[in-house]
Amino acid sequence: MPRVKIDGTEYEVEDGRTILQALDDLGLLMNGVDVPHYCWHPKLPVDGSCRLCQVEVDDIPKLQIACNTPIRDGMEVRTQSDRVADARRGVMELLLVNHPLDCPICDQAGECKLQDYAFDYGVKHARTRDPRRPAQKAVELGPEIVFDQERCILCRRCVRFCRDVTGTAELGVFQRGDESLLETFPGKPLDNAYSMNVADICPVGALTTRDFRFKIRVWFLDDVDSVCNQCSNGCNISAGRAHNNVYRFTPRRNDDVNDTWMCDAGRLSYPALREGRLETAQLRGRSVAFNEAVAAAGAALRETREAGGRIVGIGSPFAPNEDLFTLRELLGAVGAGPGLFSVPLGAGDDILIKPEKAPNAAGARALGFVESGDVGDAALAIVLGHAAAGDALSSVENVILIDTHDSALASRAMVALPARTFAERAGTFTNHAKRVQRFLPFLEPRFEAWAEGDILTRLAASAGLDTDAWDVNAVSKRLSQEVPAFEGIDLDSVGDRGLELR
Amino acid sequence: MITTPQITGYLSEHYAADANHTLAGYERAGGFKAVKKALKMKPADVADLVKESGLRGRGGAGFVAGLKWTFMPEKSDRMKVLVCNADESEPGSFKDRLIMERGPFAILEGILIAAWATGAEKTFIYVRGEYALPIERLRAAVDEMRAQGYLGTKLFGKKGFDHEIVVHSGAGAYICGEETGLLESLEGKKGQPRKKPPFPAQYGAFGLPTTVNNVETFAHVPYIVDRGVEWFRGFGTERSPGTTLFGVSGHVERPGLFELPLGTPLRELIEHAGGCRGGRAIKAVIPGGVSMPVLPPSDLDVGMADELLTERGTHLGTGGIMVMDETTCMVRAACVISYFFRDESCGQCTQCREGTGWINKICRRIEAGRGSDDDLALLDSVPAMMEGGTICAFADAAAWPIQGLMRHFRADFEAHVREQKCPFPESFEL
Amino acid sequence: MQPETRQKIEALFEQYPEKRGALLPAIYLVQAEQGWVSAEQAEALAELFDLKPIDVWEVLTFYNMFYTSPQGRHHVYVCTNLPCSLRGARGLLKQIEAHLGIRAGQTTEDGRVTLGHEECLGSCGTAPVLRVDGRYCENVDAQEARRLVDALE
Ligand SMILES: Cc1cc2nc3c(=O)[nH]c(=O)nc-3n(C[C@H](O)[C@H](O)[C@H](O)COP(=O)(O)O)c2cc1C
Ligand code: SF4
Ligand code: SF4
Ligand code: SF4
Ligand code: FES
Repeated sequence: MPRVKIDGTEYEVEDGRTILQALDDLGLLMNGVDVPHYCWHPKLPVDGSCRLCQVEVDDIPKLQIACNTPIRDGMEVRTQSDRVADARRGVMELLLVNHPLDCPICDQAGECKLQDYAFDYGVKHARTRDPRRPAQKAVELGPEIVFDQERCILCRRCVRFCRDVTGTAELGVFQRGDESLLETFPGKPLDNAYSMNVADICPVGALTTRDFRFKIRVWFLDDVDSVCNQCSNGCNISAGRAHNNVYRFTPRRNDDVNDTWMCDAGRLSYPALREGRLETAQLRGRSVAFNEAVAAAGAALRETREAGGRIVGIGSPFAPNEDLFTLRELLGAVGAGPGLFSVPLGAGDDILIKPEKAPNAAGARALGFVESGDVGDAALAIVLGHAAAGDALSSVENVILIDTHDSALASRAMVALPARTFAERAGTFTNHAKRVQRFLPFLEPRFEAWAEGDILTRLAASAGLDTDAWDVNAVSKRLSQEVPAFEGIDLDSVGDRGLELR
Repeated sequence: MITTPQITGYLSEHYAADANHTLAGYERAGGFKAVKKALKMKPADVADLVKESGLRGRGGAGFVAGLKWTFMPEKSDRMKVLVCNADESEPGSFKDRLIMERGPFAILEGILIAAWATGAEKTFIYVRGEYALPIERLRAAVDEMRAQGYLGTKLFGKKGFDHEIVVHSGAGAYICGEETGLLESLEGKKGQPRKKPPFPAQYGAFGLPTTVNNVETFAHVPYIVDRGVEWFRGFGTERSPGTTLFGVSGHVERPGLFELPLGTPLRELIEHAGGCRGGRAIKAVIPGGVSMPVLPPSDLDVGMADELLTERGTHLGTGGIMVMDETTCMVRAACVISYFFRDESCGQCTQCREGTGWINKICRRIEAGRGSDDDLALLDSVPAMMEGGTICAFADAAAWPIQGLMRHFRADFEAHVREQKCPFPESFEL
Repeated sequence: MQPETRQKIEALFEQYPEKRGALLPAIYLVQAEQGWVSAEQAEALAELFDLKPIDVWEVLTFYNMFYTSPQGRHHVYVCTNLPCSLRGARGLLKQIEAHLGIRAGQTTEDGRVTLGHEECLGSCGTAPVLRVDGRYCENVDAQEARRLVDALE
């Protein structure tokens, strides 16, 4: 492993890495060692055109670009010399020659690298009196993306994303010189399942999503770590929230799961966290107080047990591991067989999107749930979520439904109890590659609702079973102790990048 | 159409002959002797001989040709390739065109010798698209050679010596003269120069090991092989041996090409061209194509070799000399030059894309009588911001002429700012 | 794209280690059909070359000698770079503009001539120089320029 000295400190780096890659591997890039960069992106091929990342290497007279200079053993890199600062200032000023500095009305303000670096290098504007290059504003590049041409600094990140990640190649740079222009092929929109990622990687405010554009200033948002629940890939996301509202999902980097990307469908799934919810407890189609519904359900459970009726549990691939584990415990306590579940399927691709359209099918499997809808002659069913439960349940007299969203089943069920979505509680999902990943709460429920496991525990108590109050951390610990596949894996230990099942 | 230089040398002595661009004509004048001689030598010895001759590339950068050939991997399981750079687009240069029109076979023979020396099996001649006649002549020459068995396999009876030549037309972009821009363009892409590493000898045309040389560079090779190192070094200077086809244009009586040894004094060249037009005084001379910094009249004694021009803060470039007489407005010259670079930047690098446009705007503003002291300060600093930090040398080439003009003719710029108009009514029209 | 054009293009492939090398020559062939290249033709080229349409469009818009919009029947270009400008090229261009009643970059109303200016054509020793339908006309003065332009059908 080559050793390199960067600003006087020696590091050991992997073979064949460039200076920027090595800094990124070490977690030092813009986080200890500042090498500003526009065209370089950790997950895209090197472009080497913005020329901002120039650094001093050994005693080579010309500055070298850190993004394309491979590290050699014994190399010495200086990132903060006067010469480097001069070069950066020069590049920054030139970038501003054709860039309107109207940050106050730009939607990128607050997460704009042009604004940040211009500030860092003390270049407030270019010393230019000339009108800027004429450019179009608010061009609709496709269904999701809007383009402000005048802000584009031609870093070609978006171009490379569409060529090298999605392979759809909708974007290109036409003409040349200072007439260079980012555009799509005439009449062909930017339209692919991942198109909104270009807005994340655009270092300036040139590409914005129609969905988020001008909704809220980013500095009002705080980002909470979460995991997308729209398919079994489990892309790591940040939920941007303010005042108990979520304004956007953005991908959160996890090189083992989703690099720095997510699909548009996942990104646009957040409104469902608030829409179509099951907001009140139901007793045979009638709204009742939560406790009243729990009591009725508890009574039915107790009576069925006493009468020797068969009880079936139906898990859900949308429910977190902890709640499925609680269901498993409950089913054990009432002498029911292993829980059942089924997974909604759809199209997948070989980028991120998986055919299993739920976040925790692998968790359900690991916890012994069986993929089946066969409820046989059950007299009572405890059901998490309506998505997986088909007509099979029509033969079951007593359905106790615990669900986040309203459905026909909720009005048909004996009891329906409002559950919290993953946005309203902590927990873990196990993705298709058996990686257990944590999500944290970013919304408060606006009505009485509890985590599925919590509700199951109240139900058990009400049915006269011996239980403690439900606490996701405690359950998570117990799960890791009792289920070998989860050994050592709990809410704490998974960290923000996840851990693979044993 | 010019058919022959006003002064000829070994390269161009037969250019006036009607049939020099046919295979028969070329062979009558002694053509293809050199390649046969080279084939009797070991490839490495041929490269050594050309290296010892000191032949420097005639495409502008002046790299020692034989040395470049040795960068090609000796063993390679992939085909090796030569590229002949015939994109000649440097304003002030028009020599390669004449060589292609009048002496195409010397280029092709030089290519075959280089192919033997480097083990290359294929050559692409990348000719700028506007050069219709040179393309026609080269294609005809290649066809004649193929018909004669001088291209294909087992050439000149030498087992294992196979070669093919493809004449490829560019499509109008100066930057395709930069060797990696050329390679991209040859591959059917935008002619945007590549970042290095990797270098062409490892990863060149279509990813194959590649050597790029200029038209004129190849054309010298047969003479060197045929007549020897000592003979070649009899021309020119110690560091820049041989002749070159100097082009003299602009305000001279008889513009044209002159084949003379490198190191020939600039003043002598201008005199060969009939001196400054109408008996006027010379105000400025660009010595090597518009990319090179301008010289004031006090520097006319300089010898036209790169090492000598470097001492005067400029370079030989392609040896395209542009003479400007006393009527000439240097701000107008700056407008024309900076417009060219703005127009031809490939647009990848920030400094080049934005700097070329900015400089042109500043120059135009000063010329229009709306310039300020701030603009002068910008012309002092913006070129320096563009220099030295880009993918290719184009940005340097755009910065240098402005720096040269500011160094020697700052007074012209200041006068425009002071008088808020162009004080050179007699100057060439913009 | 006409079948003959396609055949000519396919015959070029073998000259290049990768067929993409034949793209520039292929564009010339397609452009010869109607004097410019349409988006549909670009898509056809992309298909023939296993490229994305955008690859072809980027190339088309990068080079001066390719056109993505209809052009006049004849092209007249005047070199306006320094060596030609020093010898009066810009005045010459203005005279041609006045003669044709259009500006550089425009096409006459009858579609006869597209006029433009070009960077250095490599003919500095015989400046000023015009490129008329691909042919170099050297040492041109105003009278000669008018004659050249008028001779175009
Ligand atoms: C902007 C730019 C334009 C160039 N144009 C040409 C050209 O038109 N013809 C040429 O032979 N070399 C040109 N060169 C130089 C080539 O990059 C390369 O050095 C040359 O072709 C090598 O051949 P030589 O060593 O035989 O000179 C250019 C370089 C730059 C930076
Ligand atoms: S739109 Fe954004 S990402 Fe795309 S090239 Fe312009 S600045 Fe870069
Ligand atoms: S790929 Fe799957 S997990 Fe990732 S964002 Fe899309 S739907 Fe969500
Ligand atoms: S320096 Fe200019 S011409 Fe060269 S690669 Fe950069 S932008 Fe293109
Ligand atoms: S980040 Fe290295 S050149 Fe842009």
